[in-house]
Amino acid sequence: MPGRVLIVDDALFMRNMLADIFTQAGWDVVAEAENGEQAVAMYRQHRPQLVTMDIVMPVMGGIEALKKILQMESEAKVVVCSALGQKHLILDAITSGARDFIVKPFQSEQVLEVAERVIST
Amino acid sequence: MDKAKYRAMFLAEAAEHLQAMSEILLRLDNDPENRQEIDALFREAHSIKGMAATMEYQETARLAHRLEDDLDLCRKRGHISADEIDQMLAGVDLLEALLEDIKEDRPERNVDSYLQATGLSEQREVELQSSKTEVGGGLCSTNDPQPILVQIQLADTVPVPAPRLLVLLKRMGDFGTVLNSWPTQEQILTDKVNGRLLVQLRSHQPAEQIHAQLATYSEVEEISFPEHVASSNQDRSVLKGASVRVSTERLDHLINLTGELITTRYQLQNALKKRQWRDLDDGVGQLSQLVKNLHHQVLQVRMVSLQALFSRLSRTVHDLARTSGKKIELQTQGADIEIDRAIVEELVDPLTHMIRNAVDHGLKARESGTIRLKAWRDRDQVLVQVTDDGAGIDPEAIRQLARQRGLLTSSQVKALRDYDLYQLICQPGFSTSQAVTDISGRGVGMDVVKTTIEGIGGLVLIDSNLGEGTSITLKLPLSLAIIRVLLIESDGARMAIPIPRVIQAIEVSPTEIHSSGKQLMVYFQDAFIPLLSLRKMLNQPKKPQGGSISLVVSEVMGRRVGLVVDRLVGQQEVFVQRLSPPFDQIPGCHGGTILGDGQGIFLLDLQSLLERRKKAV
Repeated sequence: MPGRVLIVDDALFMRNMLADIFTQAGWDVVAEAENGEQAVAMYRQHRPQLVTMDIVMPVMGGIEALKKILQMESEAKVVVCSALGQKHLILDAITSGARDFIVKPFQSEQVLEVAERVIST
Repeated sequence: MDKAKYRAMFLAEAAEHLQAMSEILLRLDNDPENRQEIDALFREAHSIKGMAATMEYQETARLAHRLEDDLDLCRKRGHISADEIDQMLAGVDLLEALLEDIKEDRPERNVDSYLQATGLSEQREVELQSSKTEVGGGLCSTNDPQPILVQIQLADTVPVPAPRLLVLLKRMGDFGTVLNSWPTQEQILTDKVNGRLLVQLRSHQPAEQIHAQLATYSEVEEISFPEHVASSNQDRSVLKGASVRVSTERLDHLINLTGELITTRYQLQNALKKRQWRDLDDGVGQLSQLVKNLHHQVLQVRMVSLQALFSRLSRTVHDLARTSGKKIELQTQGADIEIDRAIVEELVDPLTHMIRNAVDHGLKARESGTIRLKAWRDRDQVLVQVTDDGAGIDPEAIRQLARQRGLLTSSQVKALRDYDLYQLICQPGFSTSQAVTDISGRGVGMDVVKTTIEGIGGLVLIDSNLGEGTSITLKLPLSLAIIRVLLIESDGARMAIPIPRVIQAIEVSPTEIHSSGKQLMVYFQDAFIPLLSLRKMLNQPKKPQGGSISLVVSEVMGRRVGLVVDRLVGQQEVFVQRLSPPFDQIPGCHGGTILGDGQGIFLLDLQSLLERRKKAV
């Protein structure tokens, strides 16, 4: 049950990779953002069903962006992406309202498993 | 609210309320219509409920709430039944276990089974209708589904289990109300996880549905719905508090003393600068007085009364009386005696054991009996005694067994006085013997009691009169850290023996020494006791003959012995320090201390010294 997704990551490489995974699975990548501030703006504009959010980013980090998005839409479905060593950041994000998380480096099946589960609940 | 800040305070205070509750319950056992006591009991439960609810310890609050409700009914009725007392005591036990959970930072155990199994529910219904009082709000309503347990095991390969468990825990919240979880959310957030999550859930969704949704997580390896949570054993949480409540008066005293010490320091510095020796002398005198005082005050901080221990033992007697169907009266005396808290902790098991023995064996063939639990202070020792008015120990039965088991030869058996025979029941071979238990009615596990008590520098003394009863006395040091020792000298080396281990230190002339075969003996308090040479035990060279002989009379493995030393130096209070490796490997030593002159000395443990010698032979 693919849907509309916003991809947020400061690394172009990561954005491309995620976009490929989602597109190949039939998802509609509505926008990409390279920092938290852009992410909030794009969320407001596109109201996607899902956001994948990197945590460590310049200008505005992922957790702050997550909170801002949730203020705008309390039912927003945000999945955070983070490196293995940033366990405390992931925990922080989940406590702040992220629905799930993906650990980098990831495989496409994992990304899609999380994404599909999150938008179906 | 920052719970952690108040937790220790909560635990200490709740423990006090619980202790009060068991004390009152035990008194009500004899006086079930005492309204004042029932009222007091109600207030205690009420206090615990309020505290626990404020701290958001849900299970503790629920249970205390129930006890409060039940007591409210008793209050209105004006009496409490024996069954209700037992039920309340079980509730108090469960509350103690909950406090232990809180203390150990575990999730509180669930109290549903208690709430369901007990309670004056039927009566409650009736009385509620008649009195139209609202009782019991906040407890689960009948429409709510029964809580279930859901257990999830993550695959070993999951790279970061904590966030995964957190997501799962939050997901559980979508299914219904999470009543409890192990680990808790806080524990997950601090990464105290092991890949497993157990959740107690009240949900309208059937288990299959929950299972199906959890199965969409590829990280989850196993989902199960266990029937029970294994509850850990209840333990002696009340006595094992790591924090101490100190009265402000005591603290003020310490602060004052510290202030005086500072003043004295300036006086001394001044006197030294001006080279006024007289002032210096005065200052040193003042200093030693202050230090002595300070030492005393600091020791006081560690002191607790035996009250908690005694009330716990009252409870043991109560339970034993219930299960054995006997009428047992417990008389206590000296509960206000204070002793180092570390020692009180060590006393729980031995005293419980002694009381069990007294009931099971001392009062074996009787319908009723009296047990006396008494504590008193004798200089720097505390004595705790358990006496029963039961059958007593039959010395002949012990003689026979000692021979049978080859512990003593026939002639030794004859020579031993009854009193010395009784001490034999602490020998491991004896105490496990079913035979002696049946004949003499005593002895199970007494070796454990003896080992524990001697481990804290105490002594176990057993006395008995056939047909009149048995009394067991524990002689204990006041404090574990600072004890009085007898300093002795052997081949130029000073050593210390803890005073509670010393029966007497005497000097005898060579003419008083008798020999029986190779064994040298001396006559002491109407019996011959064998002499052992400390030099020989420590492989030191022999001492040249001549002059009087210094002896330390002690009791080792139930027998009196005279330890021959070079010189008796004197008594002193010392601060015992644990020996660090490799010194802790030295057999026969159990600690060390540094004397005023900077000399380090070892504390001798005669028991292990002798055991080692026996093995060597």
